Amino acid sequence: MSFISVEDVKFSYDEDKNYVLNGLNLKIEKGEFVALLGHNGCGKSTAAKLLNAMFLPDEGTVVVDNMITSDEKLTYEIRRNVGLVLQNPDNQLVASVIEEDVAFGPENLGVPPEEIRERVDKALRTVGMYEYRKHAPHKLSGGQKQRVAIAGILAMHPECVVFDEPTAMLDPSGRDEVMNTILRLKENGITVVLITHYMDEAVMADRVVVMDNGNILTVGTPREVFSQVHLLKKHSLDVPQATELIYKLSGAGLKFDEMPLNTEECVNFLEGVLK
Amino acid sequence: MSIIEVKNLSFTYGIGTPFEKKAVDDVSLCVNEGEVIGLIGHTGSGKSTFVQMLNGLIKPTSGQVLLEGKDIWEKSKEIRKICFKVGMVFQYPEYQLFDETVYKDISFGPRNKGLSEEEIDLTVRKAAKFVGLSDRLLNKSPFDLSGGEKRRAAIAGVIAMDPDVLVLDEPTAGLDPKGREVLLAQIMGYHKERKNTIFFVSHSMEDISRIADRVMVMNKGRLEMLDTPKNIFAQVEKIESMGLRVPQITKIMMTLRERGYDITDGVLTVEQAFSEIINLLEKEGKI
Ligand SMILES: Nc1ncnc2c1ncn2[C@@H]1O[C@H](COP(=O)(O)OP(=O)(O)OP(=O)(O)O)[C@@H](O)[C@H]1O
Ligand SMILES: Nc1ncnc2c1ncn2[C@@H]1O[C@H](COP(=O)(O)OP(=O)(O)O)[C@@H](O)[C@H]1O
Ligand SMILES: [Mg+2]
Ligand SMILES: [Mg+2]
Repeated sequence: MSFISVEDVKFSYDEDKNYVLNGLNLKIEKGEFVALLGHNGCGKSTAAKLLNAMFLPDEGTVVVDNMITSDEKLTYEIRRNVGLVLQNPDNQLVASVIEEDVAFGPENLGVPPEEIRERVDKALRTVGMYEYRKHAPHKLSGGQKQRVAIAGILAMHPECVVFDEPTAMLDPSGRDEVMNTILRLKENGITVVLITHYMDEAVMADRVVVMDNGNILTVGTPREVFSQVHLLKKHSLDVPQATELIYKLSGAGLKFDEMPLNTEECVNFLEGVLK
Repeated sequence: MSIIEVKNLSFTYGIGTPFEKKAVDDVSLCVNEGEVIGLIGHTGSGKSTFVQMLNGLIKPTSGQVLLEGKDIWEKSKEIRKICFKVGMVFQYPEYQLFDETVYKDISFGPRNKGLSEEEIDLTVRKAAKFVGLSDRLLNKSPFDLSGGEKRRAAIAGVIAMDPDVLVLDEPTAGLDPKGREVLLAQIMGYHKERKNTIFFVSHSMEDISRIADRVMVMNKGRLEMLDTPKNIFAQVEKIESMGLRVPQITKIMMTLRERGYDITDGVLTVEQAFSEIINLLEKEGKI
């Protein structure tokens, strides 16, 4: 059984059954890093909230680590298991000192104080913010705030972290910081779901899932998905500039075996052709 | 003539408290009527604080903002009127949307201008179309929109006011790629027709390089660089040392150039890169 299994899920925000998710099926394996893409309003954030039992399906089922989200007795355990990181870093930090902020989650779980200490230190080290543990959150840059928010979730020992556009408000180096942190979580065996509108972030995932109007449009490795330039563009998406250039050149007769997805691959390919 | 002149502008948050923070530090520049100014800088570099002083939302700690030669704080009782001349889309649209429905929200500006119901209706629908917001969303509460839809609604509200100076604080954050592309094209089209002045704050170097006449680079509250996109993004090391990046396509073409290929300096768009490579291939008879 997959770690997360979404089966025939329908969900609507109103009585009239205007389904925002319309028979969604999705399986995510343990330790996998999945990027979730799709146009504005296609249902990504809604799907994210169904994964940690914030919303329950109108029809169909969501099962996380063998726990069905519709069973209220399991809600608490599911929310601890699946952490959610949102777009605006300012709204997620509550305490006036960083380590207190990170301790907030485990305190609420009733974790004993010595263990909290341990968890907080470990989480801050994982995101590379340990040196700042005594600082005030409001003095941090956007990327640093997001890393503290991630630490707060890690301290609850989740199996999975869902990121809903965590880099949308960040500068380029802040985006790099958060992406490096995400890759580190994956190395530690944590399952990651990343919702993003940045295609250069999606290429780092193991698998890319593209949604369209409450359903799955296509799924595959980044290379499989981003080779379908035409399909993506038709559904309000894009490809990295590196890929776009080669795609255009192929239209002018240039041949390639494997679609380049980032700066390095693109430069190497072009060097090979120009030499 | 310059429509906006900023003179030694500074702003400090929390003066006299332990959290005192100089967010904008002695910034001066002149902006010509009809110019598109791109504004980039690391998070916390003071971009939002700076633009909020342009429309009188916050009052400078020192220095001046001159709009058509007049200090906007000269008649401080009338400062609210500046918002209609210098229209602003906030970085976080949540803070901008307040009415019961998206429709009412967008109609706020035109209503305050004293337009008739009919004209208001026309303006609202035009603005919604401008940002790609479908009709079915107009009667929804702005709080029940998806992230990208909220962003579009906030932009529509300001477009409906049709201000002389348009300030957009990270307007494309959270938009899907097509939405970003279309919005940029719409803004440029509108700009061409209306010839208004635009400040465009963004972390997308790709977007900035496409639309700005000049780029302001802010670093720790100071205006570090002010130049054309081409000249700014030619200085990769300096840009990267400030936590920024050059567009991916610029980086690719620069790397090839460094490795000895005959490529023009300062390529900013995929289209330019495409014709550069095609030229090279043709020259060498490879295509
Ligand atoms: N609280 C709500 N009440 C009613 N409708 C909602 C609510 N939240 C979202 N919707 C609607 O549900 C649809 C899906 O929204 P969702 O937030 O899941 O989209 P998304 O894929 O995350 O979009 P974005 O890329 O813009 O963040 C949209 O049409 C939106 O208007
Ligand atoms: N309301 C506020 N109160 C106190 N400090 C603030 C406030 N808003 C911004 N700051 C601080 O001012 C500096 C500049 O912030 P801001 O103008 O938002 O930068 P940017 O838009 O470039 O990210 C940052 O150090 C930030 O923490
Ligand atoms: Mg969303
Ligand atoms: Mg800002």
